[in-house]
This record gives sequence, C-alpha cells and structure tokens, in this order.
Amino acid sequence: MAGVAGTIFSLGAVYVIAGLVLVCFAILTVADRRHPRRWGPGAFWCVLGIVFIFGSVLPHWVSGLLVIVMVALDGAGQVRAGLAADRGAARPHGASRPGNQIFLPVVAIPMVTFAFALTFRALGMDANRGALVGLGYGSLAAMALVLRLTGSTPRELMAEGRRLNELMGPVNILPQLLASLGVIFTAARLGDPIASGIVRLVPADHLFLFVVANCLSMTVLTMVLGNSFAAFPVIAAGVLVPLIIQPFGADPAAVAILTLSVGASGTLMTPMAANFNLVPVALLGMKSEYGVIRAQLPFAVALWTIHVVLMWSIIRFVR
Amino acid sequence: MTGSLPLLGLLVLGVGLLLRLRPALVVVAAAVVTGLLAGMPIYRAELQLLADPPAPEGILNMLGRAFVENRFVSLFIITLPAIALSERFGLQERAAAVIQQVRAATVGRLQIVYQLFRVLVGALGIRLNGHAAFVRPLLFPMSVGLGAVEPPLAQAASLEKDERRLEEIKATDAAAENYGNFYGQNLSPVQPGILLVYGALKALGYEVSLWRMVLFSVPVVCSSLILGAVQFLLLDRRERRRGR
Repeated sequence: MAGVAGTIFSLGAVYVIAGLVLVCFAILTVADRRHPRRWGPGAFWCVLGIVFIFGSVLPHWVSGLLVIVMVALDGAGQVRAGLAADRGAARPHGASRPGNQIFLPVVAIPMVTFAFALTFRALGMDANRGALVGLGYGSLAAMALVLRLTGSTPRELMAEGRRLNELMGPVNILPQLLASLGVIFTAARLGDPIASGIVRLVPADHLFLFVVANCLSMTVLTMVLGNSFAAFPVIAAGVLVPLIIQPFGADPAAVAILTLSVGASGTLMTPMAANFNLVPVALLGMKSEYGVIRAQLPFAVALWTIHVVLMWSIIRFVR
Repeated sequence: MTGSLPLLGLLVLGVGLLLRLRPALVVVAAAVVTGLLAGMPIYRAELQLLADPPAPEGILNMLGRAFVENRFVSLFIITLPAIALSERFGLQERAAAVIQQVRAATVGRLQIVYQLFRVLVGALGIRLNGHAAFVRPLLFPMSVGLGAVEPPLAQAASLEKDERRLEEIKATDAAAENYGNFYGQNLSPVQPGILLVYGALKALGYEVSLWRMVLFSVPVVCSSLILGAVQFLLLDRRERRRGR
C-alpha cells in the first residue's frame, strides 16, 4: 500500500504527467490545420514530452541526441514563438462566466505545492521533492477546478494550454538547458581558470573583497549575456564555490540565492535584456530608447550595494 | 592539462547571445564546444561507463543525463493548461478589476501597490509577462489619469514639459513591473530561477534546501520594496512641484 502511494506521489510520476501534457500539446498542434507551420512545433514539444516520460529509462546518450534534435528544430526556425494561430476562440457566454472564483484554480497550485512540502517534511522525506511533486498535483487540481468552474471540456483545456505554451515558445526550456550547461561547465573545470584569474586580481585573501568580486562578476556577466540565469552557472562554478563557499564555509543556499538576485541588478541596467528594458519602451511609445534603464539605474546600484553587505554579514555572522 | 581552453565555450555563449542567435542553440553549442576543448569524447557507449574503472563520460551522454536530471526546472509547463483556460475565462480582467479598485491618490502610490501586487503574483509561482499583460493596458493609463497629464492642447512651452513628465511616468511604470517581477519570484520554491540555482549547486556537489533559499530572499524583497517606494515617492514630489 505504502509502495503504491510512494509511486503515485513520486517525482517520476509527476514527470510522466508533465510529459503526457506535452504530448497532448504536440498532438493538438499537428491536428491544427490552420497552423502556419504545425510540424516543427509539433515535433519539438513531442520530443520534449518523450524526454519527460522516458528520461529515467532511456540511455543518456539517446536523451542527449533528443536534446540536439529539439535545439536543431528551433535553430532552423521551425518553432518560432507566437506562431500558434490565436483565432480568438469563441468567448464563453455570459451565463457560465465565473466571477472572482476564477482565481481559485490559480491559487490552488501554490496551496497544494505547500501542502505537499509540509506533508513530505512531516513524514521525514525531502521537502524539496515534496514541493515539486506538489507542483504537479497542484496543477492537476487546478485543471479539475477550472473545468468544473467553467464547464469546459478537457480538450479545450489542453488547447488553451498549448496556445499559451506555443506563445511562450522554446525559451520555456532555456532554464533547463542552462542548468545542463552548468553540469558540463563543472565537468570541464571551467571554474578553475576563472577563480585563479580573480585571485590574481584581488590583492589579499579577504572575505569582503571576494564578496565584491563575486557580486561584480555576476552583475557584469549578466549585463553581457542579458540574462542572470545564463550567468549563474558560470559564476557559481568559477567564483562562488571556489572562493566563497569552500574557503569560508558560507551557507551555500544563502550565498547562492543572493548571487542570483544580485544578477538582477545587472538585468536592470542592460539593453541586452530586451524583454524587460526595451520592449516596454516600444509598448509605451517612449521617446528615449534607454529611458527605462536610466530610471532603473539608481535602484539597481543601491540594491547591488545592499546585496554585498547582506552577503558579507551572512557569511560573517550567521552560522 | 587543458587549462583555460574551455573558457572559449563561454565566448561562444557570449557572442551567440550578443548576435541574437536562437538562445537554445547557443547554449547547447557552448556546451559542446566546452566539452570538446576539455578533451571529452563526443559519445561513449553505456557499457564503457559501467566498466571498472569507468571511462570518462561523453558529451552526448553528459548532455542527456544533465537535461534529464534537471527536468524539474521546466516543470512549470504543467501549470499552463489551468492558467491558460482561466485566462480565457477572464483571469486577467478580474485581476485588472482588483487593481482598479485600488484608490491610490498619486502615481507613486499606485506604483508602490503595483510592485507589491507583482511580488505576490511571483510568490504564488505564476510566471507572466507583466509589461504586455498589465503595464500597457492597465497601469499606464491609470498612472496618466492620476498624473493628470494635460492633453497636448496646452501652450507650446508646457507641451515639452508635459512630454518629459509623461516619459518619466512611463519609465517608472515599467520599472515597477521589473522590480516586482525579478525579486518576487524568488519567494516561490518552484520558480525556474530558484530551481536553476538548486540544479547548478547540485552539479557542484552541494544539495541545498529550496526553502532556505526562499528564506534568504526575504530581506532582498523587503529592500527592493523600500527602494522602489523611495523612487516612486520622489516621482510624486517632483510631480507636486511641477504642479505649482
């Protein structure tokens, strides 16, 4: 009995559910005759679904090949975001329109996530895993709720999900690819030359200066790449772990999340983060292309300084 | 032995993103180049990996293993059907109605409330593009209404002044969205950013608690709210002075 529950409420089961959702998206895309280019995205999301469902049993080199296939499809321009034909599907009739109850499904997701994490912890299991399993079952609960509230069919539910997913496009798998890049960076010992370069630049074995170097390199790399998620694996391997976590025994969770969020100061200051800093200029019809960045500059610098002080104090005083 | 050669993989990443090539392609190209320069083989049969001593992993094997092990980072895709159908049935309109009920007396106070709202959305684990969903259709018109920016009927002299005020309001509206979005999302243990940190640290040999990361994000979120409030209230003060 416990074994069955353990299988149903496992991360593996949630991966299978997510994979099935992705395969549904793919089938609906291919079945959509009005789609301007249906086979590219259909293949892309189907392959991702296969990796989700069978990733744990497939030989890793096969999964690696599947990743290459997905990236090649995207690189060949077959999976552009926003291609999903949004034909403004028949708006639901007034009669069945739920009022503020429409918030319920969306709020159910974090509530179930949290409940699972608490339950896992109470049972002496990993609360991290509990949150992820809860995210999966929270989403299922939200699907059931929204179907009940709106009287829609499961097919309509999946069709809407597919539309939103295609609208966001292949960037959706970017964080996962970046985490994988981190694994290869670690194996290639990319951190060593970066760490030794910084040690050469910093005059002494000084905690405060290392914290400054860590925050500065994270911010600068984020500005160059336009994306703090892309910068994090590099800085983690090259600066954070070898120069701060290892020698000073710093709390890895605390300094790592602060390193990611100090990167956001860089995002606020760079035109490379077009989605956040240039798109609103166009959306709002602003005169100056860098108007948003200029407005964010003092905030970004002030919060950067707060990050440095916070990180230093945590390493120094929190044990 | 290979020294700093793999750093060229980083160069591939930087140049590729700078040239605006497809980001997924750039990331995988950087991974392959880094692996090759570090002397990894392209592919290794599974049997050789099980041998004793195990052969070094091939790039394809490692890419597949890493991608599979990090599936949890993309797990948010499972939330999309419920969110999308709720949107079809007026989720955003309802959220807009809630924001519109805010009786803010000034532009700055409205922006403070909006940043708080965005932090809350992020803490619930919901990802959305707020510039298109809320700032353009909602926050901006409300701010202009509160700023009582004169229509360009005024005399030529004040026309230019109004334009500068309008530009400033637009910029701070966009900033309120970015501040709330960037920092608020770290309050949820299932947002991709926090999960990416978890995955990257695991690769480096550190298993950390998602909840502890959320805990240490709290002081950052509080600081961002205070700094944002200062900026928005300073905007109000400038508006008042101009009003005279």
